[in-house]
Amino acid sequence: MCSKNVPSESGETAKRRIGETATLSVSPSRRFPVSWRTLSITRRLTLLYAASTAALLLLAGGFLYWTLKSSLEQTRHGLLASKIEVLRLLLREQPEKAQALASEVEHEAGEGHPLKYYLRILDEQDRVLLETPGLEKLIPAELFPPPVEVTAGPLKDVQQKRQAGRSFLLMSVRAPTGTAGREQRTLQIAVDVSAGAALLTNYRNKLLIVLVAGTLFAAVAGGWVARQGMRPLADITKAAQHITASQLHERIAGTQWPRELAELAAAFDAMLDRLEDSFTRLSQFSADLAHELRTPINNLRGEAEVALARSRTAEEYQHILASSLEEHERLSRMIDGLLFLARADNPKAAVERVRFDARKEIEAVREFYEALAGEQDVAVTCEGNAWVTGDPMLFRRAVSNLLANALKHTPAQGRVRVALRPLDDQAVELCVRDSGAGIAPEHLPKIFDRFYRAGHSGAPAAGGAGLGLAIVQSIMRLHGGSASVQSQVGQGTTFTLRFPAGLPPSPAGKMTKM
Amino acid sequence: MRILIVEDERKTAAYLQKGLSESGFVVDVAHRGDDGLHLALTQEYDVIVLDVMLPARDGWSVLAALRQAGRPTPVLFLTARDAVPDRVKGLELGADDYLVKPFAFSELLARVRSILRRGPSRQPETLRVADLEFDFVRHKATRGGQRLDLTPKEFALLSLLAQRHGEVLSRTLIAEQVWDMHFDSDTNVVDVAVRRLRRKVDDAFAPKLIHTVRGSGYVLEERPV
Repeated sequence: MCSKNVPSESGETAKRRIGETATLSVSPSRRFPVSWRTLSITRRLTLLYAASTAALLLLAGGFLYWTLKSSLEQTRHGLLASKIEVLRLLLREQPEKAQALASEVEHEAGEGHPLKYYLRILDEQDRVLLETPGLEKLIPAELFPPPVEVTAGPLKDVQQKRQAGRSFLLMSVRAPTGTAGREQRTLQIAVDVSAGAALLTNYRNKLLIVLVAGTLFAAVAGGWVARQGMRPLADITKAAQHITASQLHERIAGTQWPRELAELAAAFDAMLDRLEDSFTRLSQFSADLAHELRTPINNLRGEAEVALARSRTAEEYQHILASSLEEHERLSRMIDGLLFLARADNPKAAVERVRFDARKEIEAVREFYEALAGEQDVAVTCEGNAWVTGDPMLFRRAVSNLLANALKHTPAQGRVRVALRPLDDQAVELCVRDSGAGIAPEHLPKIFDRFYRAGHSGAPAAGGAGLGLAIVQSIMRLHGGSASVQSQVGQGTTFTLRFPAGLPPSPAGKMTKM
Repeated sequence: MRILIVEDERKTAAYLQKGLSESGFVVDVAHRGDDGLHLALTQEYDVIVLDVMLPARDGWSVLAALRQAGRPTPVLFLTARDAVPDRVKGLELGADDYLVKPFAFSELLARVRSILRRGPSRQPETLRVADLEFDFVRHKATRGGQRLDLTPKEFALLSLLAQRHGEVLSRTLIAEQVWDMHFDSDTNVVDVAVRRLRRKVDDAFAPKLIHTVRGSGYVLEERPV
């Protein structure tokens, strides 16, 4: 990607550059191409199949090889032991029957036996008394290990030597002549095991071939199996790729998926549900926002255009500018409200928490609205006492928005009651009840939405251009509480705020104003 | 009184300069952070109005450099970013106040004046505007010698207007100062309250003292008939 921009550079530099960009950009896997975490699952499975097959073959082959080798050794050692036994017997029992000994050594040695063997008998001065023909040339007496006493059990001091291109097992033992052991002889015996060694090598090579071929086959077959197994994943990916912002209503769980993927598909669909909901709300919000902006901007534009169409008196200009200021103020308030909501929506948003007398705050808000209520001939009363943990300024703002809303919808001689009630579990409930016209049930679920006007009047809801109740709900969410509404057409509406218990006060010193 | 405005948005800088000049201040304008800092360090100003987002050097850094150089000149921050950490940062660096865009010019003027008024604040015991007299010790207001029958909040509202007579006070500022409501309410509460106050203060007397400045707020002053 980067090298395209520098075609004149040599391949090596360009390659290094790619490495450098990779560290800055998307995928670290470019830098570590063999990282296990980023390896495709198909490859992982293939590798694991091949590795486990190789391990299995290695174990089985090793075992077979070891069995063959030890059985061969057993045969050789058996032959050695039996020959030694026979010769010792001959030397001890019949020293005078040199004939039999000579024939045993010179003629019978190795004849008719699958393992060819050679014998030699030395006297105490290491002079050769008898030996199988050809042994002198093949293995001189000095090459044998020093003689040992014969003991029971497995043979000791057996040496393996290569001599003249063949393998031999060599051994020497002491053997007394006659029953009284008058003279000591040394028996040397050599067994030609070349055939066995060749057999073992051959066997080992075949095992290696099986190991390599088996592993390769396992890799190929494993790759195929893994690809087969992964196919549903590719399918589900394709299905998911199919869903774009414009087709958010589509779902993938309808198809039959393997059990493992069915859960993923369901989770994915649930996520799509939430996304679609957010999308709908967002586009509804954007539409509403555009609509809300249209009115003041239309006013501003029209007034300015008309004003500039001809020259006017200073008084007229003043009038137009003042009117435009009012529209600007309306826009500013809307921006303020939207910013507040955006900040409150931030999951990291936290409020200051102090313990305050809720009644005092409500009285302050009531005092603020006193003049307005008096003018409208609506009685505002407060009752109940409670302490709330939270941000007093936000509490005021919520109460203020609810009161403004109530006053807006309550006719003359009406009544707005603000009631505070501590609940059993330390939570606090605040009700603002008006005696207004009430809200039709179909509007209730959306009453806290931004810019939602309950349809009953063209006048904006209180507290910031149709944002008042949305701000109330945001404030409650920031406090971990809830806002709800009940209404009876013709009887009035009650907004209920619930502040949860158990919020510990936050350390002092934070900014209150939000 | 000299004011330095450091603001890169030309239209904003122009109307601030115009408005503040017409309110009797001598105004200098810088459009870049470094220029602003240079002016602030080489000239004497009573207030600096400082935008946060500036080319070459942001407002925070200008303020930090200013304080590091030992200049105690009061600074009023203008910011389009309304996040609490931003404000805390500004105030921690030694700003005296801040305003979030969009703001009303009357609001800015009021804040600049209140910064200039700071220092040893002495609440006068009495005050007289035209024939309106206050006795703050006894919480009493009279006009033309007649005692005005005011609720505590009405007294607070009238004394706010009187103490800053000649100055246009926005509804936001009035709600903040009189009722401690630090947020915009879409209702005409302040208008209603002022209307009620007028009935008691102006209806039976001449000349009228409380005036509406359309689109901006209210002002208490003696105007030639």
